[in-house]
Amino acid sequence: MTYQTVGQSVARLDGIEKVTGEAVFVDDISLPGMLHARVLRSQRAHALITGLDVSEAMAQPGVVAVVTGRGLPRRIGACIQDMYPMAVDRVRYVGEPVAVVVAENPHQAHHALASIKVSYQDLAVVTDPWEASRPGAPQIHPDQAVYHRLPGIHPLPGSNIFHRLQVCRGNTADAFREAFLVVENRYWHPSIYHVQLEPHGAIATYHQKGGLTMYASSQAPYVVRHVICELLGLPPGRVRVIVPYVGGGFGGKSDHTIEPLLAWVARHVPGRPVKLVLTREEMACGTVIGRGALVHYRSAVSQDGMLLGVEAEVFLNGGGYGDFAVNIVTAAGISATGPYQVPNIKITAHGVYTNTPPTGACRGYGHPEVHWACERQMDIIAARLGMSPVEIRLKNALGPGKVNAIGQQMESHNGRVDLCIQQVVDALGGPECFLPRTNPCVGSIALEPGGIEADPLPHPTGANASPKAEPSGACAKPAAMPGKVRGKGIAALMKCPIMPTNAQSGAIIKLEEDGGVMVSVGAIEMGQGCHTVLAQIAAEALSLPLERVQVAPQVDTFHSPYEWQTVASHTTWAVGNAIRLAAAQLCDKITRAAAVILQVPAERLEVVGGRVQDRERPERYLTLQQLARGYTDARGTALSAPLIGEGNFVPQGLSHLDPETGQGNIAADWTFACQGAEVEVDTRTGEVTVLRLVSAMDVGKVINPVLAEGQIYGAAVQAMGAAICEGIVFDREGRIRNPSLTDYKVPGVEDMPELQALFVETPEESGPYGARGLGEHGAVCVPPAIANAIQQATGLEFFDLPVTAEKIIRAQQKRGVPA
Amino acid sequence: MPEKIRFTVNGDVVEMAVEHHQRLLDVLREDLALTGAKEGCGGGECGACTVLMDNEPVNACLVLAVEADGREIITIEGLARENCLDPLQEAFIEHAALQCGFCTPGMILSAKALLLRNPNPTEAEVKEALSGNLCRCTGYKSIVDAVLAAAEKQS
Ligand code: FES
Ligand code: FES
Repeated sequence: MTYQTVGQSVARLDGIEKVTGEAVFVDDISLPGMLHARVLRSQRAHALITGLDVSEAMAQPGVVAVVTGRGLPRRIGACIQDMYPMAVDRVRYVGEPVAVVVAENPHQAHHALASIKVSYQDLAVVTDPWEASRPGAPQIHPDQAVYHRLPGIHPLPGSNIFHRLQVCRGNTADAFREAFLVVENRYWHPSIYHVQLEPHGAIATYHQKGGLTMYASSQAPYVVRHVICELLGLPPGRVRVIVPYVGGGFGGKSDHTIEPLLAWVARHVPGRPVKLVLTREEMACGTVIGRGALVHYRSAVSQDGMLLGVEAEVFLNGGGYGDFAVNIVTAAGISATGPYQVPNIKITAHGVYTNTPPTGACRGYGHPEVHWACERQMDIIAARLGMSPVEIRLKNALGPGKVNAIGQQMESHNGRVDLCIQQVVDALGGPECFLPRTNPCVGSIALEPGGIEADPLPHPTGANASPKAEPSGACAKPAAMPGKVRGKGIAALMKCPIMPTNAQSGAIIKLEEDGGVMVSVGAIEMGQGCHTVLAQIAAEALSLPLERVQVAPQVDTFHSPYEWQTVASHTTWAVGNAIRLAAAQLCDKITRAAAVILQVPAERLEVVGGRVQDRERPERYLTLQQLARGYTDARGTALSAPLIGEGNFVPQGLSHLDPETGQGNIAADWTFACQGAEVEVDTRTGEVTVLRLVSAMDVGKVINPVLAEGQIYGAAVQAMGAAICEGIVFDREGRIRNPSLTDYKVPGVEDMPELQALFVETPEESGPYGARGLGEHGAVCVPPAIANAIQQATGLEFFDLPVTAEKIIRAQQKRGVPA
Repeated sequence: MPEKIRFTVNGDVVEMAVEHHQRLLDVLREDLALTGAKEGCGGGECGACTVLMDNEPVNACLVLAVEADGREIITIEGLARENCLDPLQEAFIEHAALQCGFCTPGMILSAKALLLRNPNPTEAEVKEALSGNLCRCTGYKSIVDAVLAAAEKQS
């Protein structure tokens, strides 16, 4: 299939605005009479509020209002209504809003915070999801049984577990009894920050006639609107949410974060806009954090390396409120077997309340957490069997005809993980680089407790290694500096979007008076380039040159079409489908209008290159320009009306999961991929340098190769941070030890490895021009690929992220290798 | 007590009274409505607020407005001349060296300072020059490529 615009690396539509400083983000907006808000945040992780006195703060210069949670009408939440926008009588994490000062300028607001007096009665604190799930743990939501929640959410009353998903297939008891080998480990992915460069911000005006207008740095204006409507008891038509450019989202600006809080605050100062922009330190505790999962993973394997069964328990940190994490629990549960067919499965995923900031969507959404376990486990299994990590993956890979954990059968258009694996292996130097580790051992292996890095296997290149483990040829290790060792690792993945079964995406295409079009969508441009890609899809569908297609850059709930939210890597797929539907409707209207004017049956007309023409006699045509505002004949009589096409899309055939077995049709499509890493480890300092990151992804048809590569590079480097340096550290009182970018190091340009993105393009039947999602996927498997490479380099097995220099040194010392 | 300062911003002479504690970033963004310089951290950690002061990159969140007295400031708004993009701006577009665009003004200005003092930098020099600028979107590859391409084009 040849396309005109689809498949081209066209330049971003927002490029000029963004390189000149013209692009407007929330904090760049100033409204007349605007006030400024600052938040007093709890310094206690778990406490009852016994006193709150704001009178002194009210008297400070410039202060217009001090708002507390008193009088909040109801709890909010999209899945579980378990939170207030600010504390009412109890705080559940350090950073929870307790009071908000509104003042004429930000300094006055900040200054007045110190005069607010709060007294607390402390309660016991728990920040670890596994501990919090144990009987006897401090109860964080003693009344969770009464919370309003959507169907399909299964809390465990009397515990901190707010959702539990079970996935069961076959009979694992038999599988484990018959297994040649059982491998059991515990893996930990700590909580991380998203570190969007743009802090969360919003400006809200509560109108005196009732109703609210908000500018927000949000991925989810329709979710925000819904929650604000519920909170303030307003009809949707009275709440307007406008989203200008967003400076990075990565999931952390999805659902709702600071917006309901600011809506509540604005309610107290009707008629005056209030701006709230978080500081970098507040970003650590004042929005959502990502991940935070313990995975207990048990695999039953046959002698020839077939996965017979998997039993896994996932404990995902929900933080103080679980609303945002419910579907992450589901995502983790259904994808815990990775990109493999496993006949016997028993997975239980728990979402657990703790005293940390709430966990929200974070690029990968449950998948990186379980792939960290699954893909480390695969390497360990391969080693036990004396098998190559490549071979074991290829043997078990899902593919056409195979069945995934929730009972969905893969079709040939769903993509090919095997090809992705082969591409990464080839790019890293070929299968010789991934020879079996030596000294396989057989039988059941005792649990290696989480948090302890063990090295139960001999060093592949050490004294115990057989010559077989020394690669040669293309793969010979380049002469690393003395004291430095190199290794390569791979990890494969499957990711599906987790969405409501009726997740809506809409598009409106307006024919403009020059014959070009204006496309409106509800999808947010937050850097991923979706507006450019969507313009390409519109141009292709309408057979227009790209220059004639504009996409309205601001999303505005007053007139943008519905969009569930810009998450789940579903925009190209879902909104792209909506655009194709809208384009088809517009073309239909164009041909019907032209049929009247040209006196040609509509079926004989086609829209091509900015014209509508008679297929049989192409010299009979109208330009789209002639039709845009209504065609008039020689007498001035209008023969047609202005033309607008609309398209609305919901995924087809999705259903809720069976509550007992977790079987069902919840994933609309899958993207398969493999990622590989080459690392160098300094055995004296423990420092890891990632030399290369290679990703091969079956994204279906690539709409814009350069933008697609950019997504994968960005995701890979982000996840490299999670692999080797990132992780939020909580102290015993639940305070964050590393809230700033000085203490919490993210990869800088100097850390950038050689990056490579490869595409397998199996066209997706349900996607526009065969496209699938790809935005998050590059973040899913980098940590296990890097840890597998570190294993090959050093012989050390790691189960805890991040794999820091300190951990490597400690593990070496434990093994007795001189540092 | 406000103090009077006089400096040039993007070629224009500006005279104004500023408070001692006022940051250059606030003066630019709030008083002069030059919102191209972004605040990503307010603590010198991210580089999103980078502007040029006498052709050197500075974090405008760490510079007091009074320190700008007598200096020449260039912000991202002043980089394109007579509707003509700077070669760096063009290269950033061409190489897709931006995604969300929040780091972009700072990145481009750090790169500009580099090319002003070293028109033919090596890749290592580019990385060194950009080491104070964080980008969470691109993975940096396209940014480094863009800066090298702009240098090549200019020379
Ligand atoms: S805002 Fe100045 S360095 Fe981050
Ligand atoms: S493009 Fe988003 S931070 Fe650099």
